[in-house]
Amino acid sequence: MATSTRLARTLTRSSLRSLSKPPTTRRYHAADSPPPPPFSPAESAILSAALAHVPANGFTSTSLRLGARDAGYLDASTNLFPRGAFDLVNYYLVTQRLALKDSVQFPAESAGGGARIGVGKKVRTLALARLRANAEVGVVGRWGEALALMAQPTLLPASLAELARLADEMWFLAGDTAVDASWYTKRASLATIYSATEVFMTQDQSTGFKDTERFLDARLEDGMRVGGFLGGVGEWVGYTGHSLVNVLRSKGVRI
Amino acid sequence: MSLALLPSKAIRRSPRPQSLPVLDFLAPNWTSWRPVTQKARIATSAPNTSTNPPSKPLTKSQKEYLDSALRVNQAGELAAVLIYTAQTPPLTRAHPHLRPLMTHMYEQEAGHFAVFNTLLAKHRIRPTAMYPVWSVAATALGWGTALMGREAAMACTEAVETEIGGHYNEQVRVLLEWADERRKEGHTLGAELEELLGTLRRIRDEELEHLDIAVENDAKEARPYELLTDVIKGGCRAAIWVTERV
Ligand SMILES: [Fe+2]
Ligand SMILES: [Fe+2]
Repeated sequence: MATSTRLARTLTRSSLRSLSKPPTTRRYHAADSPPPPPFSPAESAILSAALAHVPANGFTSTSLRLGARDAGYLDASTNLFPRGAFDLVNYYLVTQRLALKDSVQFPAESAGGGARIGVGKKVRTLALARLRANAEVGVVGRWGEALALMAQPTLLPASLAELARLADEMWFLAGDTAVDASWYTKRASLATIYSATEVFMTQDQSTGFKDTERFLDARLEDGMRVGGFLGGVGEWVGYTGHSLVNVLRSKGVRI
Repeated sequence: MSLALLPSKAIRRSPRPQSLPVLDFLAPNWTSWRPVTQKARIATSAPNTSTNPPSKPLTKSQKEYLDSALRVNQAGELAAVLIYTAQTPPLTRAHPHLRPLMTHMYEQEAGHFAVFNTLLAKHRIRPTAMYPVWSVAATALGWGTALMGREAAMACTEAVETEIGGHYNEQVRVLLEWADERRKEGHTLGAELEELLGTLRRIRDEELEHLDIAVENDAKEARPYELLTDVIKGGCRAAIWVTERV
């Protein structure tokens, strides 16, 4: 527990730092043409086969080798993955992030009838769905290993960039279209909350991960209360700056 | 609605033919506009433009260009909205006849800002990290120049629009270049970019209209004119440079 809490703290503390520095991999998404697949067919074949070995063998080069063999490749083909076991972790993170848009479906807003689901509720649903995948794929018991790999100094930037992309994906799928200063605080707080909950989940013994769900709800509530979620510091400063003039005017000050 | 209140000068100018790239002569390779416009007209008249993707996906550097260009545009329009918001009360108190003009320009800026907000959300582009800083700076600039008087406020508009108009024009030029390259290879730009090109042209023309309004309202009479406009232009260029990066 001590190790994973320390890791979580490193991850969350530096996640804030790295989010203030925009990830360089972000780019214009053409809405009319889908992005190319993130992995080549050979990579996908080996890594998805290797993932099946993770519950038994962990995020290790052993799983990678077994996966290559299962997929019909030579053991030497694991040379495709210069970052070794981390490439397996990365494959898992990327594919799970991209799977979210299909695994969680919200009723269309225009459908009428059902009450509108708030963006905050949708974010919660998405975060839970993503956490549940860790249990379904059976990697929860091995997540400490994954975190240890992710927190290595040379791999930390890539891990944080992926965490930032996950937070961005969740806000996007939740239908949040705000593009003001809150853009940053929303993503930073969700990334922090999500990674803390993920660590909590590795220690959760309750049935159906009920405690994890409660933990997530408590963190989200904190986020709302402190205002890190919707009324971020940056937004507050900007808003106050330019509305100061308006407030003074509304008080009858002739400026 | 506000158009009805406008003085005749502005009315004469504002309904510029928007589908015609009348000001593309400002973009250096203007010779290529003709075939592009024809396509753009077809694209805009089609009810469902999203079914016409580019026949060749955008390159990495093209996506990066659009990412930073649209981010700069949003920041610029945010600043424009805030400048006019801050300028209007002091200015119209001293010169009530300027109210329709200020309202007209403000409404156009608010429209531009909304366009880029939508585009950023649609294409998943992050806003500038300097958002709060630009907000404060733009308000200070608008309010400060309005206090200096009508001429200074107009000189501010003139300086800002000169930079912004040039900036939009550069983007139009780049998109025309892409269209040209693609046409030579037998490819199309796709409805999404055709539409963006049309939007950029329309907004550029409106910015240049603001520039004309400022000049007609004695922007050049501001004292010290050179210092004021140079400082503001320098500030715009610095802000664009920073926003392209963060
Ligand atoms: Fe504008
Ligand atoms: Fe303008």
